Amino acid sequence: MLAEIINSNFNRYASGAEKDLFFETRKQAFEAFETMGFPTQKNEEWKYTNIKGVTAGSFEMSDERPAHAKTIFEKSVLNEIKANQLIFVNGIFYPDLSILLEKDKSIVLTNLANARTEYSELFNRHFSKYAKTEEHSLNALNTALLNDGAFIYVPEGVKPEYPVIINHYIDSTHINVLVQPRNLMVIDKGAEITLIETYESIGFNASYTNVVSEIYVAENAHLEHYKVQQQAGESYHTNFTQMFQESNTSINQVTLTLDGKLVRNNLHFYMNGKNCNSLLYGLYIIEKQNTVDNHTRVDHAQPNCFSDEKYKGILKDQSTAIFNGKIIVHLDAQKTNAYQRNQNVLLSDEAVVNTKPQLEIFADDVKCTHGATIGQLDEEPMFYLRSRGIPENEARKMLLNAFADEIAERIKIPELVELLEKKIEEKL
Amino acid sequence: MLSIKNLSAEIDGKKILDGLELEIKAGEVHAIMGPNGAGKSTLSAVLAGRPEYVVTGGTVTYMGKNLLDMSPEDRACEGVFLAFQYPVEIPGVSTTNFLKTAVNQKRLYNGLEPMEATDFLKMMRQKMELVEMDKSLTGRSLNEGFSGGEKKRNEVFQMAMLEPNLAILDETDSGLDIDALRLVSNGVNKMRNTERSFVVITHYQRLLDYIIPDFVHVLYKGKIVKSGDKELAKELEVKGYDWIKNELEAAV
Repeated sequence: MLAEIINSNFNRYASGAEKDLFFETRKQAFEAFETMGFPTQKNEEWKYTNIKGVTAGSFEMSDERPAHAKTIFEKSVLNEIKANQLIFVNGIFYPDLSILLEKDKSIVLTNLANARTEYSELFNRHFSKYAKTEEHSLNALNTALLNDGAFIYVPEGVKPEYPVIINHYIDSTHINVLVQPRNLMVIDKGAEITLIETYESIGFNASYTNVVSEIYVAENAHLEHYKVQQQAGESYHTNFTQMFQESNTSINQVTLTLDGKLVRNNLHFYMNGKNCNSLLYGLYIIEKQNTVDNHTRVDHAQPNCFSDEKYKGILKDQSTAIFNGKIIVHLDAQKTNAYQRNQNVLLSDEAVVNTKPQLEIFADDVKCTHGATIGQLDEEPMFYLRSRGIPENEARKMLLNAFADEIAERIKIPELVELLEKKIEEKL
Repeated sequence: MLSIKNLSAEIDGKKILDGLELEIKAGEVHAIMGPNGAGKSTLSAVLAGRPEYVVTGGTVTYMGKNLLDMSPEDRACEGVFLAFQYPVEIPGVSTTNFLKTAVNQKRLYNGLEPMEATDFLKMMRQKMELVEMDKSLTGRSLNEGFSGGEKKRNEVFQMAMLEPNLAILDETDSGLDIDALRLVSNGVNKMRNTERSFVVITHYQRLLDYIIPDFVHVLYKGKIVKSGDKELAKELEVKGYDWIKNELEAAV
């Protein structure tokens, strides 16, 4: 059972750790996790997602440094992007494989473990301040037993020349692994950056990846953030991303879920200042008996903010999708504009979608819409294409590509769009 | 070219075509007229192979082959083209990509190599002139946000690109103003030749002032009840369909 494995791992960690603030944070998180335990389907937020495959499984935390990390990275499509690259395998940082292109040395691109000592002031100010541990047991679990992950700091007014790609490889070649990457990004006032988080698997044993990313966006800053999940096979992946926005900030976020046995994405935006602009787009392509669950939450806590959300899914075989989108407009958040849509195309009679767009509005001067659709590919466009000589299969592919295109066009990195197109081609 | 014998078809269990007969030779233009609900659009749908229509009897032979046995895409590749009454908007599929796929699928079907990109673009330019279509439209998603006239011009443009043997125009004149009507008709007329046949389905005689038919047929209650030349269309314009209905009832 995973719970016992976690318990013994934390005890081992606690016996050797220095009893500082970091330790206290983790100890509290561990206690919170012990109290809450793994989420079950009795929890409303997990009603349709069963993580028995995780909790009943046996996973090990590994300190092993796989020798073949280099070859894997070189094969990756994202390797071709001219970008700063941070490489992690099973949560262990590989500085020798990482690529840092920025000439401006004020930009910090490093790992969290290093940041804790070298940038302790920044670390202590932001670490575990945004992703709540008391409500989300998997956040607590990550905080208690995190491996390592990216630490990024973009100073005031700085605009890095290249994007930053955070590559997390999960290697289950020899054993079933438990990996808990933890990323912390701080974008200071007026700064602008493009971040890509990607998760890929190596090996055929099972893996459980439990990620927490905290992203703080200070006044007038802009963030492009792309999350790409392509861990394959017996990969279980839960992810919690918390964006914390100060006033006059804008974020364009795209979440691509392209593979995995079970994927749960929690993406939360908290608008802590006025005039924020938050765009959330997602695409999931699911096959076999796999499950993809997207839970998003946008907290409009301040006036005059705008959010636009669109998640689209293509489901094959006996796959299951869950979408739960919450927009919460707080009492003070007058003049809020918030939009949310979820659209699903089912390619099989046996695929299932549970979708729940949710609005909770406490202010009175707001504009909000939400909606969801589930259906098969429309027959009219299909017949139109076929009547021009395009075979049924090809026509279906064209229409699905067109369906996905609405999300793809939100991505500003051509290589990433290419990767997406290639994946769609493979899957369909 | 096309021989329809005793054709019956239904949709959702409702009989629409009821023993329809029609013979079309290469190079001929046949107009099919008739009141609402007579089965005009059903005829075009059945010929193009729309899946929701069920053929319950009769045969359709196209260039010596059983048309009803073919999938919609094979019919297109064999040279049958349907200009839709309501062209479908397909966001995310560019007109250029769509046409390139369609043209090359047809070539593949007929054992030809795909067209070179430059040849294809040249062909596009030439054919667009035929209906004076704006170049900017081909970069946009297929029919998305096109006006009624642009959509119909796009149909004739596609027809020109695919160079069919048999073109079926389903109420191509509906929703067109007089200028668009002239443009669309000119496009069709330029494509007329001794090899290519047309079935022009229309409610009104107006279109037939521009596309002069060799034959005019009146479709009523699922069958052709009267045939003639272009003068028949003019007569219908004056007398209306009631004239035919009354004539039929009198005969009974």
